[in-house]
Amino acid sequence: MNPESTTIWDTIQNSNLGTTIAESTWMFPTLETIHVIFLVTVLGTIFVVDLRMLGWTSNKFAVTAVAKDTLPWTWGAFIGAAITGSLLWVSKAHDYMNNPYFLLKMATMALAGLNMMYFHFITWRTVEHWDRDASMPVAVKVAAALSILLWFGVVFFGRAIGFTLGIFGS
Amino acid sequence: MGDLLYAFTEWLRTTWVTEASLAISDWKASVWLDTHFWAIPIMQVTHILAISAAFGSILMINLRIFRLAGTERTFGETERRYVRWIWWALVVLVISGIGMTIAEPVRELVNPVFWIKMPLVVVAILVSLWFHHLSMRRLAAGGVPGPVMKTGALLIIILWMVIMLCGRWIAYAPV
Repeated sequence: MNPESTTIWDTIQNSNLGTTIAESTWMFPTLETIHVIFLVTVLGTIFVVDLRMLGWTSNKFAVTAVAKDTLPWTWGAFIGAAITGSLLWVSKAHDYMNNPYFLLKMATMALAGLNMMYFHFITWRTVEHWDRDASMPVAVKVAAALSILLWFGVVFFGRAIGFTLGIFGS
Repeated sequence: MGDLLYAFTEWLRTTWVTEASLAISDWKASVWLDTHFWAIPIMQVTHILAISAAFGSILMINLRIFRLAGTERTFGETERRYVRWIWWALVVLVISGIGMTIAEPVRELVNPVFWIKMPLVVVAILVSLWFHHLSMRRLAAGGVPGPVMKTGALLIIILWMVIMLCGRWIAYAPV
């Protein structure tokens, strides 16, 4: 840690909130635990929709129905993961911003978001034509496969951060 | 709580577990996993992805009981959709878990949180067996979920969350 705050990340890390979380014995692990439970919920519910879109499961049921069942839980858990993730980030903002895996995680999550937006605003327009089909159009399958791969990547880079903070830190 | 866990660790050190974990750490597989930088993170990622698949499925089944999801399906259809995925995810969880234990036997086995987590996993699997095969079958036959079943559904969700909590805290156990 840098005692003379030079960058905005140092300022955030050395803020009251940052040092409180970093110096507490239980706050960081507790936030991390809640973060894990939320992200597991995000992934688990996203996979349910992705597998339907790939045509592997739930093929008797409409894609819109599967999405309606899972999306409120996905978004609720995502908000929880984002809040706990932000608090974890504040406590080591400088270290995370200097860690390539943290930056890769954020980039991968942004790509997952773009994939979702493209699917939602473009592919979804024709949903009434394939909603109840067992086999989905290629664009739908590609969106589902990309979603699974990108979220795998988010988890991998997220876990890699914990193993490399010491290497790229300070 | 910290003191209690610490005493638990002290006691574990006096048991055969310590010797066994030291013996495992001499295995070729253990040395290989421990000396290849990405081996342990990749097993942890596999473990997290598998618990995501399992927990997502468990959540959807239990939400069906509360009529919060999957209301256009029967219980039988909900069960058929998710139970298979839970079992396959459990297989991946056990394999990746064994892999992580072989890679870092002392960290895992001489660890009070590990020994709290394991019985909870066994309880969760047994409860799931009982819950899915008995309750879900009764519901598939046309029954309506009562307060006992709803409480059970909620407890299963909480139990899996506690298991995830233990999993994360293995890394922070006072040893």
